[in-house]
Amino acid sequence: MDRKKILIIDDESAFAEMVKLNLEESGRFLVQCESNPHDAVQSALSFFPDLILLDVIMPDIEGPDVVAKFRDEPLLRNIPIIFLTATIRKDEILDGGGLIGGHVFIAKPCSVNELISAINSQL
Amino acid sequence: MDFHRTLHVLIVENSEVDRTMLMGMLSHGAYGTFEADTVSTLKDAFAYLSQNHVDVVLLDLNVDDCGGITTLEKMNSRFPDVAIVVNTGSFQDDLGLKAVTMGAQDYLIKGSYKNYGLVKSLYYAIERKRAELELQQALKNLQETQGHLIRVEKMNIVGSIATGIAHEVKNPLATILYGIEYLDTALKERNDKIDLTLRSMRDATHKANNIIKDLLDFASQSELFVTEHQIEDVVDHALNLTHHQCEKSGIRIVKEYSRDTSRIKIDKNRIEQVVVDVVLNAILSMHRDGVLRISTQMKKFQLTDLHQMCDDRDVIPEGADVVIVDFDDSGAGIREEDMPHIFDPFFTTRRARGGVGLGLSIARTIMLNHKALIGLSNLPEGGARARLVFPVSGGG
Repeated sequence: MDRKKILIIDDESAFAEMVKLNLEESGRFLVQCESNPHDAVQSALSFFPDLILLDVIMPDIEGPDVVAKFRDEPLLRNIPIIFLTATIRKDEILDGGGLIGGHVFIAKPCSVNELISAINSQL
Repeated sequence: MDFHRTLHVLIVENSEVDRTMLMGMLSHGAYGTFEADTVSTLKDAFAYLSQNHVDVVLLDLNVDDCGGITTLEKMNSRFPDVAIVVNTGSFQDDLGLKAVTMGAQDYLIKGSYKNYGLVKSLYYAIERKRAELELQQALKNLQETQGHLIRVEKMNIVGSIATGIAHEVKNPLATILYGIEYLDTALKERNDKIDLTLRSMRDATHKANNIIKDLLDFASQSELFVTEHQIEDVVDHALNLTHHQCEKSGIRIVKEYSRDTSRIKIDKNRIEQVVVDVVLNAILSMHRDGVLRISTQMKKFQLTDLHQMCDDRDVIPEGADVVIVDFDDSGAGIREEDMPHIFDPFFTTRRARGGVGLGLSIARTIMLNHKALIGLSNLPEGGARARLVFPVSGGG
């Protein structure tokens, strides 16, 4: 089976590495981590992921601003994005049906299974 | 001051001559209308004042059953709202002035005043007492407002710290959790010790995460999802959630539900959270074989329903229909010195056993968001009562 490519953009590189380990362990994903959100577009253009996991709050740039940059780039515009956030509780996200402002949100920390099913729902 | 109103005067005087003379002066009529009565002992004065409205007391300090400044002190502490003019003997200005510093509104020296002087002093004393009471009330209101502002400010600070901490701590927690999950799937060599280690690490991480979740709960003013419920159903569901802890601690639950409580508009999950918290607090305060008695009732709200239990009482107007839920435990009760702090964020008596001190302050925030109240008090027969008061028409 073709492994899906996931790009994780998160300034917490330890967290990103752990996500990568878990996702790759499942044998279904190929994962690349980008800890500098300013390089996110460049990384995406070279890796060309099937899906992006994006941290919401990062130093000097926020997740939604990174999304705007992707939307400006025709080659990246249609790649699905899942937000990862530590500031919202899981039940608040569930109350919104997993969506906030039309975007899929996942509350940190969530289990690997929850993460994988969220990814599958967007692919 | 209404000079046409009849003023009620009580003359406390042990000399019959003086009593007769004072009655005569007040019935003169030239400077206002008075209705006066006389008594000769402090005991009779107290009895009279408990039965009758009196505008001002004309008080001789030396009566049959009491003497000196003590007479004034007793009168003042028993009837703090009534105006007092002290009527002292000749050459006793010192005593008169002392009386004024100790709570009398004015003093007169026997033999040195006539009708006009007496009446003027009585009017003056009544006005001065009224101003004093207003000032006292204003001060009390000011102190209450100040206390409220400090509390709100504290909550805001905790709120902003909480959100900051939540983000900073959840990221490393997420990292640790994913690390554990990875090891759990990737470790080929397994034995009991490795399993125990992974399980302990996962439990500890979840526990830390729950504390952060509590903090966020506390900080969040998020919208309520209000629907109509029977409070007894919500309590029962919360009891299911705490069933295990009850069994483990050997606590017996006794339900005394009323059959006629109205349905109330609440966010079921939030109120369940409040009930769980209250029940867990009760369980932790009791020894084995403790009893937690849960009762419900429907009534018209009175401020005394939350006697000394909380300072949010004006959230519900007096006389409004309310549903009350009481949780009476048979534990050690609440120490008097802890009473003012039980709803303060981070106040806990169980720090050593892992308490963070957020449960009750979160419960209070949730209740206030519902325009409902929570109060705690000690029961006369021992143990503590947690009381939840919900307005029937309300719902945040």
